[in-house]
Amino acid sequence: MAQIPNLDNAPLNLTFLREQSQKELINILKNIRGKKCLVIDQKLSGSLSVIIQTSLLKEHGVELRHLSAEPIQTDAAKVVYLVRSQLNLMKFISSHVNNDISRGLQREYYVYFVPRRAVSCEKILEEEKVHHLLTIGEYPLYIVPLDEDVLSFELDLAYKEYQVDGDTSSLWHIAKAIHKLEFSFGLIPNVRAKGKASVCVAEILNRLQAEEPVNSPDMVVPEINTLILIDREVDMVTPMCSQLTYEGLLDEFLGINNGSVELDASIMGLQQEGKKVKVPLNSSDKLFKEIRDLNFEVVVQILRQKATSMKQDYTEMTTTTQTVSELKDFVKKLNSLPEMTRHINLAQYLSTFTSKPSFLAQLDMEHTMVEAQSYDICFEYIEEMIHKQEPLINVLRLLILFSITNSGLPKKNFDYLRRELLHSYGFEHVGTLNNLEKAGLLKKQESKSNWPTVKRALQLVVEDTDTANPNDISYVFSGYAPLSIRLVQHAVRSGWRPIEEILKLLPGPHSDKKRGRFSSSPSLDTLQGASASMDKVADGRRSLVLVVFVGGVTFAEIAALRYLCSQEAMAYDLIIGTTNIVSGHSLTESFVEKLG
Amino acid sequence: MANVSVAAEWQLLYNRYYRKPELYRMRWKHIDLSRNKVACAPFGGPIAIIRDDSKIVQLHSESALRKLRIFNSAGVQLSETVWKNPGGRLIGMSWTDDQTLACIVQDGTVYRYNIHAEPLEPNISMGKECFEQNVVDCVFWGNGVVCITESNQLFCIPDFKNPKPCKLADPGIEELPFCMAVIEPQYTMSGNVEVLLGVGEAFVVAVEEDGVQQLGAEVLRGPLQKMAVSRDGQWLASFTHDGRLLVMTSDLQKVIMEQECESALPPEQLSWCGMDTVLLYWDDMLLMMGPRGDPVRYLYDEPIILIPECDGVRILSNSSMEFLQRVPDSTESIFKIGSTSPAALLYDALDHFDRRSAKADENLRLIRSSLPEAVESCIDAAGHEFDVLRQRTLLRAASYGQAFCSNFQRDRIQEMCKILRVLNAVRSHEIGISLSIQQYKLLTPSVLVGRLINAHQHLLALRISEYLGMNQEVVIMHWSCSKITASLAIPDAILLEILLDKLKLCKGISYAAVAAHADKNGRRKLAAMLVEHEPRSSKQVPLLLSIGEEDTALMKATESGDTDLVYLVLFHIWQKRQPLEFFGMIQPRNLARDLFVAYARCYKHEFLKDYFLSNGQLQEVAFLLWKESWELGKNPMASKGSPLHGPRIKLIEKAQNLFSETKEHTFESKAAEEHAKLLRIQHELEVTTKQAIFVDSSISDTIRTCIVLGNHRAAMKVKTEFKVSEKRWYWLKVFALATIRDWDALEKFSKEKRPPIGYRPFVEACIDADEKGEALKYIPKLADPRERAESYARIGMVKEAADAASQAKDGELLGRLKLTFSQNAAASSIFDTLRDRLSFQGVS
Repeated sequence: MAQIPNLDNAPLNLTFLREQSQKELINILKNIRGKKCLVIDQKLSGSLSVIIQTSLLKEHGVELRHLSAEPIQTDAAKVVYLVRSQLNLMKFISSHVNNDISRGLQREYYVYFVPRRAVSCEKILEEEKVHHLLTIGEYPLYIVPLDEDVLSFELDLAYKEYQVDGDTSSLWHIAKAIHKLEFSFGLIPNVRAKGKASVCVAEILNRLQAEEPVNSPDMVVPEINTLILIDREVDMVTPMCSQLTYEGLLDEFLGINNGSVELDASIMGLQQEGKKVKVPLNSSDKLFKEIRDLNFEVVVQILRQKATSMKQDYTEMTTTTQTVSELKDFVKKLNSLPEMTRHINLAQYLSTFTSKPSFLAQLDMEHTMVEAQSYDICFEYIEEMIHKQEPLINVLRLLILFSITNSGLPKKNFDYLRRELLHSYGFEHVGTLNNLEKAGLLKKQESKSNWPTVKRALQLVVEDTDTANPNDISYVFSGYAPLSIRLVQHAVRSGWRPIEEILKLLPGPHSDKKRGRFSSSPSLDTLQGASASMDKVADGRRSLVLVVFVGGVTFAEIAALRYLCSQEAMAYDLIIGTTNIVSGHSLTESFVEKLG
Repeated sequence: MANVSVAAEWQLLYNRYYRKPELYRMRWKHIDLSRNKVACAPFGGPIAIIRDDSKIVQLHSESALRKLRIFNSAGVQLSETVWKNPGGRLIGMSWTDDQTLACIVQDGTVYRYNIHAEPLEPNISMGKECFEQNVVDCVFWGNGVVCITESNQLFCIPDFKNPKPCKLADPGIEELPFCMAVIEPQYTMSGNVEVLLGVGEAFVVAVEEDGVQQLGAEVLRGPLQKMAVSRDGQWLASFTHDGRLLVMTSDLQKVIMEQECESALPPEQLSWCGMDTVLLYWDDMLLMMGPRGDPVRYLYDEPIILIPECDGVRILSNSSMEFLQRVPDSTESIFKIGSTSPAALLYDALDHFDRRSAKADENLRLIRSSLPEAVESCIDAAGHEFDVLRQRTLLRAASYGQAFCSNFQRDRIQEMCKILRVLNAVRSHEIGISLSIQQYKLLTPSVLVGRLINAHQHLLALRISEYLGMNQEVVIMHWSCSKITASLAIPDAILLEILLDKLKLCKGISYAAVAAHADKNGRRKLAAMLVEHEPRSSKQVPLLLSIGEEDTALMKATESGDTDLVYLVLFHIWQKRQPLEFFGMIQPRNLARDLFVAYARCYKHEFLKDYFLSNGQLQEVAFLLWKESWELGKNPMASKGSPLHGPRIKLIEKAQNLFSETKEHTFESKAAEEHAKLLRIQHELEVTTKQAIFVDSSISDTIRTCIVLGNHRAAMKVKTEFKVSEKRWYWLKVFALATIRDWDALEKFSKEKRPPIGYRPFVEACIDADEKGEALKYIPKLADPRERAESYARIGMVKEAADAASQAKDGELLGRLKLTFSQNAAASSIFDTLRDRLSFQGVS
């Protein structure tokens, strides 16, 4: 099965978006005649893997390389760099060129920036005195469809960059990406944003519309009705909790990259010792689509049931005489056998992690923190983790959760834990601590925590969650309803107005605007009910809400959104946009900056 | 009756009718074409006239200075200028495709003028060689020119837009050729211009950039006196030495037609009329010859000039401008005497209808089946008509007929009306662009609008583009720029109002481009005011920089949220200003400042330090120094014998001092101090143990390493030096001892004193090392029965686990333990009994 997801069932014409991106890339390659060496930066090559097959690139006379400090070894006289516009990558390019010059090699160099040229990058190339040797272009890849309902802007460092460095480049990119969508699918009439970065994206989006308007003919109903922007900063609790859905757990323990996991072949029951295999995970896999968003406990049961029923069918098959149609049904079922095996293998492997006492203890601790009880127990637990020198990321993840739910730690504890951290993991992590502090993820307590109020008002902790037959999004964390998705739930249902008081307790401003020809109609939430029915597209499809997470979204949150979407009372289809897919681990890791 | 008079003016050449309507009576006075050199642009373009200095003429009451005058096709003067150019006699002049007048003089200099008779800089030279040889003749085409010098060398400018003169191959002739013609680059095989020279022999010399050929030797019987290449470069019309008109393929391979003329004297002018006939002009006679039939003869008692067009020839005389063309098929079918074509009958029907005659209906009935073609013909004929009244009648006839057609494309009439309105508007005397419909379609509306703009007919251009639904941006943009150039005396504020009033007509127009023009005209303030209105930051910001409005640029860039623009401004200021001034400018602007820091962190470390020092962010400098200390450590020199710990520690101590400057960074200051101390101790340890495994590990790791190496004294020293808590100490030591599996030492350690964190570390270390026996030494000592239960469970001792759990009276724990042992039936039954007993007691 291909890693490139099938997008035919997407609520928007995403196939078109992807084909456009493919074409643009191929055109770039076509226009550079002859044999060439294509050098792609590592991260970008991951993004491209869900856009285009490598074989297609090779058809255009391309040798593929990854960008690194190592000089390029190739016979091709033309070297094409395809890189994200990131400062640190420029040094590689300039050192390659200078290396070629010193060896007397004459080559033609092309640098294509993704998604657009950047003055700062070109400045470095100028300073390194190689700029005049390069032909510079752009490959405007702003959006990568990861699945039929998930779009990624592929901005891995977005959250850290704007929280710690104050670099808002990613916000402009997000706005530009949404604006690009609007060119294909019409101006989005309603925009609701919560959080500083989100409001900022909404503003830039409006500026872009003023500068380069999307024409919306009066008669055409825009395909996307509402845009909801949620800043990750608003809810850092959710990503720090361990995800308990199947896909979420896969990401937590195995790390899903660009819609696939890589693991030892032996785990998948293959006889290739020590070899790695890539297992694609997207909706093209029917079974995965069915179980990806379920609580892992339930997944195990379902897989067991399926296996049993298949075994039963099989025994029936061998004992009694069957009609042809029954045989056909059976064969059809057999077709799903490879998928079954794949997921049984994965699930089995996952349970080796989930059954560990340490994991259970960690879950226990997360719940205690979310419920904001027993401060001392939590504090001692973290202290002990540090003393035992457990993996730094695990420690920080809990510490962040602890700090946020308590709105910081008392100074004495704060300094003590920081000192213990430095003593245990080395002084080089003073940079990491500094980053976390700048981002407000780890801080000194200065005021009483809002968390208990928020938790209560939004019913984030739900007792007696039935994970098998959920009646609330809280099933994804076995009893905790992710704050971010609660907000989306409210925003979709009734706008910000009814929960304004709560919103004020969360970080950052919020906004609710109508745009285009809709801006004249009063933005009153009381009208919402009336307009919601009007918004319905005539052909019976539900109209669409685009939920954009500025700073990343977890699989568990996506699962919760899909759950909302599946409810009958829901008037909208949801599609998700995000800077990238995150987990508590990857998010925390982005803040780690060893000075050394 | 009208019908008769229309066709009465036509001439028949073999089986084709030709007509020659007068387009204009010339508005000019006292112009005698024979005294002047004249250049007429095709597509009804302007006429340039200058006294011919190669002729001896009598000066009437006029200045001896020659004037270059430019008229439109109707003889209305557009502009004039005095000709004072050096370089000898004017050899030739012509209009290029973009309506620039190119004039070439003897020394090979090309002077160019726009339609306003303003010289366009720079002048183009044909090169030194040409300069020395003197130009004697030249031939222009659309965008280029070829000239021949006294020494019979050919020089060429292939494209005036990119004027690079080049010399063609030496034709190798002694005498000046009789005649010269050019096949345009777009029609030659090589893609370069090909020059045909009619020499004194029975062949033609064809010259290209890289070669000379003799052509036509097979078909020619003597030299050619005059040549003209057809518009598409396929045919060559020529006049032979013995008075024949010869039309050949342009490679001179095949003769297409040959006709005797009445004169052996070569004609003054030879020209193609469209693609089907050739015109020859002598003194007072114009002869039109087709492939067959007798030539048509026109007599003129004044000099004329033939202006070839795509569908005919315009004939300019002192008094009038005429257009000679083949009568279009549709027009012929309607107006030909005695025509009974459906279109003629429809036209006639309208006449009857107007006179309220019943015959109208009769006519219509006759042509019912072919009514759509009739309507189409009337529309088409209307398009070819120059006379407005006749256009109207024809269109009315079409519309009358259309009423009886069910399936006719309704918008055809409307479309034609649109075209005719435009054509009639530009044909007026004031505009004087006499386009035929065919020429108009070939020229395209957008080029027409462009020409109107160039002639400063902005209003008409605007109206036309509005009427045709074209983008008006070009017009308004050009108008605005012209307005700025022309309004030196109008104060900025007023001019701004005038400009804005018009600019707002066009959505999405680039205010920045207008502003840039204002700036070029030295009106910086106006530019600044204009650029304020530019909605696109990406255009606005660069311009603000170029007019020196750096502060505003920075502000606008920040507002746009486009970090790339902010960087653009940042680098601009950075380059132009002194560091301190630069720091001052970015300091109050968060985004600019943060971006600068991000960039400098990656690329300009030292400069970044200066910045932080300049604004007192000492802690940031300290972080940078600290970071440097690690980079020193990574330096390969560090591992070679002499460790660089000295300089490293110095850097860290410097950082520590900087941290201690501010109260908020006591923690960091303390950490730096400890780090320096740690490095010293680690270095000593490396010296004493002779193992380079200490430097850059953490304090905890250092302690572990010491214990693993059996150096308990050093471990203890590190512990006291850094005040490591007992809790951490126990974890570290227990794990370290378990790592080297020194179980005796572990036991001894457990008995040293009552461990401050209980026996759990011991249990965990043993279980992790898979030493059940060792673990059992400590499990009973665990204080909490729950922990005991879990620990037993982990080493698989069901019974003990169950006992401990029941001791803890924890039902939930029992359940969980049961799950752990779910594979083991015996075990799970134990838990069930226990749990039942618990719930019975009502404790769970």
